[in-house]
Amino acid sequence: MTLPSTLPVQGGAAESHPVETSAEALVASFAEADQHTVDLSGHGIEDWICLGFFWIMAGLVFLQFFSRYVLNDSFAWTEELAVYCLMPVVFIGAAMCVRRVRHIQVNLVFRYLPVSVGRVLSTAVDLAAIAFYGYATWLVARYALAVNNEPMTTIDWNKSHVYWLAFAGFALMTVRGIQVAVENWRRGFSALQNPGFFDGSYD
Amino acid sequence: MLILIVSFLGLMLCGLPVAVAMAGGSLIYILVSGSVPDIVLAQRMIAGIESFPLLAVPFFILAGNLMNIAGITGRIYNFAVALVGWMKGGLGQVNIIGSVIFSGMSGTAIADAAGLGSIEIKAMKDHGYSTEFAVGVTAASATLGPIFPPSLPFVIYGMMANVSIGALFVAGILPGLVMTLLMMATVAYFARRNGWGGDIAFHWGRLVSALLEILLVLAFPMAVWLAVKSGLSVNIAATAAFAVLLLLDWRFNFSAVLALMAPVILIGGMTMGWFTPTEAAVAAVIWALFLGLVRYRSMTIKTLAQATFETIETTASVLFIVTAASIFAWLLTTTQAAQALADWILSITNNKWVFLLLANLLILFVGCFIDTIAAITILVPILLPIVLKLGIDPIQFGIIMTLNLMIGLLHPPLGMVLFVLARISKLSVERTTMAILPWLVPLLFALAAITYIPSLTLWLPQQMGLLK
Repeated sequence: MTLPSTLPVQGGAAESHPVETSAEALVASFAEADQHTVDLSGHGIEDWICLGFFWIMAGLVFLQFFSRYVLNDSFAWTEELAVYCLMPVVFIGAAMCVRRVRHIQVNLVFRYLPVSVGRVLSTAVDLAAIAFYGYATWLVARYALAVNNEPMTTIDWNKSHVYWLAFAGFALMTVRGIQVAVENWRRGFSALQNPGFFDGSYD
Repeated sequence: MLILIVSFLGLMLCGLPVAVAMAGGSLIYILVSGSVPDIVLAQRMIAGIESFPLLAVPFFILAGNLMNIAGITGRIYNFAVALVGWMKGGLGQVNIIGSVIFSGMSGTAIADAAGLGSIEIKAMKDHGYSTEFAVGVTAASATLGPIFPPSLPFVIYGMMANVSIGALFVAGILPGLVMTLLMMATVAYFARRNGWGGDIAFHWGRLVSALLEILLVLAFPMAVWLAVKSGLSVNIAATAAFAVLLLLDWRFNFSAVLALMAPVILIGGMTMGWFTPTEAAVAAVIWALFLGLVRYRSMTIKTLAQATFETIETTASVLFIVTAASIFAWLLTTTQAAQALADWILSITNNKWVFLLLANLLILFVGCFIDTIAAITILVPILLPIVLKLGIDPIQFGIIMTLNLMIGLLHPPLGMVLFVLARISKLSVERTTMAILPWLVPLLFALAAITYIPSLTLWLPQQMGLLK
């Protein structure tokens, strides 16, 4: 480098250097972006139920779109039902996230803790999460019972059915939480202690 | 109130999922104080997602995921290489332009960094760039995702602050362009300092064809608008314009015109008042399905199912935080905690500009520790009353808040983008931090510009008649 610089070469290449090449060669380096390998084997039954609800929700919003722009007369019930479909998508989907350890969590302290302390804390975290899911399950059940027989706004369906779906989501979160905690215990470490093991970048 | 905040922060730092820490902290507060029955937790959490505008969230996520499998990624990079590959530090510029285009289709920063990041970093390494430089550009350009519409943080902010999501989207365009230019200037600076040349030879034909594609995309909304002005019905004008566009695309096989149309449909539809944000998201999904199933035929049932699962996971993890935040924010407001904090901040300063400076520092600080969506749901109830009292436009404040939180994603201790890129690139966290550090300069410049030049955010929505 001939230019004098007081900054460290954080962003600069000292050893390697880009060289001019053909446009085709550059574009070819991005070609793998359009190749996708699909592996659906890791998905359980609740994931497929969730997928069903998701596309029903999508269908309802498409229908609303269609009725409003093409028929010029939007169906009011599509909106309400689509919102209710979001309920199982979020809560059962949250159970899916519990199982696949995809909830956003912070593993900062674990990088500074010795392994044994980290293991104790991570087990305590698993137990606390299970306690919360369990308590919330019970609360949602009480809530669903409390609103019993209240009809929806646009159609005469029982609103509490939707809340029982949320209940199913929380119950599933509890079960999956226990499952993940047991797996963590057997394995000896959790995603908090070793995130690389869980997202495929581990080697 | 102290119990609420301390238990949330404590639980989160111990490693509980952010949503569980928020709802769990609220539960502890309710049980200890006994001020409200505990069943309120269930009621608020469920009510937190019973909202039609929130339906935009899953569909924007789905649209982004479908675009990734629609077979257009290679075409977009082809276009970006033709447009800027000849500049000094070519692939750095290509990386930025690629991120700009993708941010017009997806609304998150972390997904952009994880999905495209690995490909972009690998391509740059293959062509002689250092890993550090590649990581820096990728991290910085990932922050564009939520600034250019569509944007998940804007949807959540719009809901919490009760402002128009469409106006927020439009307000993000100019700041996004300013950020793009500042980042491109940073690449040019690095290239100059290290004596890099272009990655491909300059070629007029290639550049002109790329520019023509941009012109064609811009001509589309103009043509529809003119046709509507001259008395055609909107449905007929839009259908005719699409027919002409598809015919041209089929004849000339453009590289990126159809991909670039996604943001045009979104923004055009919303600014003309045809679409609500949710409908715009659905329109983007339909467009992606059309590209993947009909035009490029690269989607299969399997990739579609995979994209749906990814969408459900992202939706559930984002909206589960929203449900937890709705009880947390409700407690913050009802216990007068938000009011007390607001009074305290107002006792420090009554000056709009000083407040904005302090707010920037506060949000930047919070953004270093707390996830974006959670931070928005906590900060809006506290800061918005002050913002309104001091006469700051809530739209501008939304852009400021989002950009602050995006910058928070880039640096320690809890920058998600930082950790994702460190893992993808197999650099240590320390080296990744050093690689990203110089890129904070253009981002902080952009932040200062957005904070102290209100017209940068407000001019465009005003011109479009989205603001009073």
